[in-house]
Amino acid sequence: MTTLFVLSVDDFRPLAEVAGKDPDVTVRRRGPYLEVVAPGSIRIDRDAAGCRNAVWYSAVAAVKDGRVSRWDKSELVVEPTGAEG
Amino acid sequence: MPSPGQDLLAHTVRGVDHAAFPTFDPQATITFYRDVLGFPVVHATCALGWGPGDHPDFIHFFFDIGGGDRLAFFYYFGVEPYRDTGIPDLLHRARHLAIHVDTEEDLLEYRRRLDASDWPCELQVRHEAVESIYVTDPNGYLMEIARPLRAITAEDDIDANLSVDALMEVTAEPDPSLEKFFARKAKLISERYAGEPESVTFV
Ligand SMILES: [Fe+2]
Repeated sequence: MTTLFVLSVDDFRPLAEVAGKDPDVTVRRRGPYLEVVAPGSIRIDRDAAGCRNAVWYSAVAAVKDGRVSRWDKSELVVEPTGAEG
Repeated sequence: MPSPGQDLLAHTVRGVDHAAFPTFDPQATITFYRDVLGFPVVHATCALGWGPGDHPDFIHFFFDIGGGDRLAFFYYFGVEPYRDTGIPDLLHRARHLAIHVDTEEDLLEYRRRLDASDWPCELQVRHEAVESIYVTDPNGYLMEIARPLRAITAEDDIDANLSVDALMEVTAEPDPSLEKFFARKAKLISERYAGEPESVTFV
């Protein structure tokens, strides 16, 4: 499962909230993190998350079984890969 | 890997006593820090013949940068000015002193002082946790003044520790990359917080 971790603080929580609107995505709390999990890609629209530049580009805490394939002005996309670590 | 010794070593340091830099232009340096920024001069050591043979006489002077902390300069008499040339921009920007202010009002007041001087503010940025202004001082040193945008929480500290642990591991291996870092950190998070996660609902 593609997994994106964001820290559960006010700045980064909106990313998990936006990602969680996709019915294939599950958001759960793991320690101080929000764990965003999907069988396929995780896509987060920047406007929907409403983050300013520096928050947007510091929002990814960690990625499991996936890789960031796009992280630009408009979208963050985490694509599935095989397990790696 | 847990941070070795972290819990055993008493943490008794209390911030910056002083940070010291050489200057070859004391006039501009004193004008900039004392007269433009308003940092009081709090101490100066005038050393006759104390230094090594090629620069025996020097003045070591200090500006108060708040909180009991000080910014200091050395001026060596009779020494040919030297400036690093060809420093990659990355290094020039990475090496800097950031001085703290508490409020936006204070930040903007320092910006106003700079903008009214020969050393105007070069950049104002809202970072993730601080908003900063930047200026290059008369010696070519990058200086930042920053105000907090949010409180740093216990969550931030946990995250920072997992980040540096992941960084240690990834940079101990060949070809470190951000992708490998994110994957290693995810592994550390999963190990640290193993077990069934709580479900989350956003309201
Ligand atoms: Fe800085």
